Amino acid sequence: MKKTLGLAVATTTAALVLTACGGGATGSTSDPSPSASGTAGNAGKTITLWLAGSDTPKELRTYLQDTFKAKTGATLAIEEQTWPDLVTKLTTALPDPKNTPDVTELGNTQSPTFTNVGAFSDVSDLYQELGGSKLLQSFVDVGTVDGKQYALPYYFGSRYLFARKDLWKEAGVAQPKTLDEFDTAVKTITAKNPRGIKNFSGFFLGGQDWRNGISWIFANGGELAKQENGQWVSTLSDPNTVKGLTQLQDLYRDASKAPADAKDQTPWLYVNDADEILDANQKVTGKTSLAAATIMAPGWAHWSIGDLKEKDGKKVREWNDATFGAFVLPGNDGKPAPVFAGGSNIAISKASQNQALSRELLKIIFSADYQKKLGGAGLGPANSDYVSSLGDDQFAKALIESASNSKLTPAAPGWATVESKMIMEEFFSKIRDASDLTALAKEYDAKITPLLNLK
Amino acid sequence: MTSTATAPPETASAPPEAPPAPRPRRHLPALLVVPAVVLLVAALGYPVGWQVVTSFQHFGMMQQFGQPPEWVGLANYTALLSDPNLWVIVGRSLAFCLVCALLTVAIGLALALLMGAVGRVGRLTLQVALLLAWAMPVVASMTVWTWIVNWRNGLLNWALDRVGVDAQGHNWLVEPLSFFVVAAVIVVWMSVPFVALSIYAGLTQLSPEVLEAAEIDGAGGWKRLRLIILPLVAPVISIVLLLQLIWDLRVFTQIKLLQDAGGVANETHLLGTYIYQLGTGAGDFGMASAVSILMLLLTVAVSWYYVRSLMKEES
Amino acid sequence: MSRTLGPARSRRSTRRTVLTVVAVAVALVWAFPVYWMLNSAFLDKVTLQSSTPTFLPFGGSLDNFATVFGDAGFVRALGISLAVTLITVAAAIVVAFLGALAISRFRFRGRRSFVLALLLIQMLPAEGLFIAQYKMMSSIGLLNNILGLALLYTAAVVPFTVWMLRGFVAGVPVELEEAAMVDGLSRTKAFLRITFPLLAPGLVASGVYAFLQAWNEFTVALVVMTEEQSRTLPLWLRGFVQASATRETDWGQVMAASTVVAVPVIIFFLVVQGRMSNGLVGGAVKG
Repeated sequence: MKKTLGLAVATTTAALVLTACGGGATGSTSDPSPSASGTAGNAGKTITLWLAGSDTPKELRTYLQDTFKAKTGATLAIEEQTWPDLVTKLTTALPDPKNTPDVTELGNTQSPTFTNVGAFSDVSDLYQELGGSKLLQSFVDVGTVDGKQYALPYYFGSRYLFARKDLWKEAGVAQPKTLDEFDTAVKTITAKNPRGIKNFSGFFLGGQDWRNGISWIFANGGELAKQENGQWVSTLSDPNTVKGLTQLQDLYRDASKAPADAKDQTPWLYVNDADEILDANQKVTGKTSLAAATIMAPGWAHWSIGDLKEKDGKKVREWNDATFGAFVLPGNDGKPAPVFAGGSNIAISKASQNQALSRELLKIIFSADYQKKLGGAGLGPANSDYVSSLGDDQFAKALIESASNSKLTPAAPGWATVESKMIMEEFFSKIRDASDLTALAKEYDAKITPLLNLK
Repeated sequence: MTSTATAPPETASAPPEAPPAPRPRRHLPALLVVPAVVLLVAALGYPVGWQVVTSFQHFGMMQQFGQPPEWVGLANYTALLSDPNLWVIVGRSLAFCLVCALLTVAIGLALALLMGAVGRVGRLTLQVALLLAWAMPVVASMTVWTWIVNWRNGLLNWALDRVGVDAQGHNWLVEPLSFFVVAAVIVVWMSVPFVALSIYAGLTQLSPEVLEAAEIDGAGGWKRLRLIILPLVAPVISIVLLLQLIWDLRVFTQIKLLQDAGGVANETHLLGTYIYQLGTGAGDFGMASAVSILMLLLTVAVSWYYVRSLMKEES
Repeated sequence: MSRTLGPARSRRSTRRTVLTVVAVAVALVWAFPVYWMLNSAFLDKVTLQSSTPTFLPFGGSLDNFATVFGDAGFVRALGISLAVTLITVAAAIVVAFLGALAISRFRFRGRRSFVLALLLIQMLPAEGLFIAQYKMMSSIGLLNNILGLALLYTAAVVPFTVWMLRGFVAGVPVELEEAAMVDGLSRTKAFLRITFPLLAPGLVASGVYAFLQAWNEFTVALVVMTEEQSRTLPLWLRGFVQASATRETDWGQVMAASTVVAVPVIIFFLVVQGRMSNGLVGGAVKG
């Protein structure tokens, strides 16, 4: 639903816009907005916000819509885009003034590409007001070009470990304090395989799961790419990176039985035991779907991990502290290892016809109220002042602790191309069986470097 | 407009006895094609033109966001033709297309003959089953298939395990070869209904007298099939084979969704997914357009024999 | 199978029984994925996650379907898909019929080029056209428009449907029509009373083809139906699958959603089935 009320759009859309206007007229009474245009003038205007995936809960969406109406008198339409199709839709819609979303969320790793091609409006003058140096800097960096600020952080989530305490105990392994200890521990659990499960992984790491795997590169001081004389260069074959890769190869060979093509989707399935419940109802099959003692996943995975309980006639997972544990991947120095920071950025489309209203929306998103609501929903707020809103349970602690040392993919203009060509996935899937890791890394450096500087 | 008087050079071979249209209807045929031509030009004219033009340009994300594109002549084409990766994909696509199309037509023919040989009950059962498979939306059937081959709780591994094959936890999508076997099974499963029902329709149009006459003459099953039935349904077979070749060469959705489910994308690209990944995925629209044009030429080459014989029939 | 029959007759009937068994077995294999979808749609996700499959939906429920129908986007997407599909089917049949009539009944300048163009268009790889299609639809204001999408779909199916119908039209002997005209009917009337009914299977077959394409198409819709309000069913289904996958794929719900998308097509197929089977490429035999 776009702002082009006057234009002849599809009839259905026009009808919807009209309905929206009816509501707009009444809500435009309060709040002397600081925006250039007063609330009365905005009645009847609509701006569109694209959110990616279902991560932003309904309650937060309603809050944004209500607050936006109260503050500006205009209507906020929120449209949800699926993650796999987001790049396609941004590529087509962002340059098109008639159909661009006014404000859009996008993955942090997708930010450099769109920022570099000039898809977004310059919000440098708002930067201080929206939080300035309090904003998560690694996310700020991917939205910066030549010192100007285009995309801002929206929320972060970082990855930590979920473990089966019972299996760790059965294998006689203690919680590790350093990365080496962790590697040894999960290899031991795999070797001991305390319950005799087929294809059992002490640590389940998908063959193509580079987003979790790069933690081992970062922990050894390695990088994926760096900038030399203004040019980006892939650094997979740097000695530090190779050190991390060697540890990974070790894990792929001796700790993880995950298939070489497994990505980072739904690893939590493997730490639950679904079949034991079923066995009680049906004949005992002697099989269990439990397949891993440890996984690494974004924090919200804990909603999907636990014992099976019946609640209001529905079967749900309920976390059980006796069986499950959450902890941060330790680094070589015992402090949290640098992990990949997942999350997203938010930016105003340059082609938007509603720049002033879009800026108002950003002000609402970066307000204390909304930042706290993000935290309350388990999403890491962009502004570090409100991180406490995440709460203080073990998940919040693990999230904050892991985020304290989290890293992003290179802010190179062509990084999104590397991702959409799935080169990292391909590279990682070859690590386990590589006889010469440095040669493999060099081969992929040669593939990646030319792409990094593509505009 | 009679063909003899004003025929363009390519219809010069038209038989002179072609029925001359009555005078007052001079423009009727032209009027009849107008809707189709207008529709095709309206919907495809600009996109196809854009594609041809773009294939001679450097057109990336910058250009998509407003920078003027730069003319590069044949640079996209030369870059592609010298890229060994492209040839691997072309070879793979051709092999996949040939295997799938031939399998589909062979199985389709067998099922059509089967439908002709059994009674009403058997025929209807088979027809309904084929219709069900054909009617499944692609997204829906891909969802079912990817789940059936799922390495962890898929049905396939469970079944193999039951019959004593140690397949538990085996991943069918990780090796490119087995990825393509799975893809081929799915594609063939989806395409056979159309082929089988088409050939069966062709069979029902053979006059029963001919078949009976052949039987009385003592022609056995195999002989009857080879000497009488096959030649008579040959036109249907050749047209469905042509269509399968075209469709299987441009197979896209099935491969894309299978790649999403597992498999190493860069080792399992066919031309369709390669173009999509180059263009919409990586924003290199110039290259993507060039691959599209090459693929069009390739399809023409593959089907050249058919196209030519069909065009001969036309004149 | 009675013993009183001659040996040849008995052998043939045994053969027939064997073949019928084979036919039914093949039918089961072919329909199995469809059955598996239906079966799973009734089961809850925990049962489905088990490494032991459940083959019969005993103890199943309609919960998954309730979730699907409760999804706000579903009904809207159903309406849009129905509208786009019906427009496409109607437009494709009319346009293709006229085109087929022209090329099979008349010889005219450009006929060969037209036929060749129809073939070539089918060979165009669609994956490279999306961006240009988007630009075009946006500049003429037809993004998120049912008619706009139907236009693209009709253009995509017309080449094949003309091709399909051509043989049918050619297969109806002109003499029949001429005979009717001699009997005093006008050419139009003769056409409507004599030729048209004979074309019915061909028209049905073209309609089915157009229906399938428009109902199932995914990528073009993704590109030109940018708004949530204008999603077609395949887009909705994909969104549903994705939303489910971000947490933990609920196969039961996904299968229920797939079932709901597939059912209208299956019903449509079964309704027109009898008329269609003669129509598929029947034209090619005669042509």
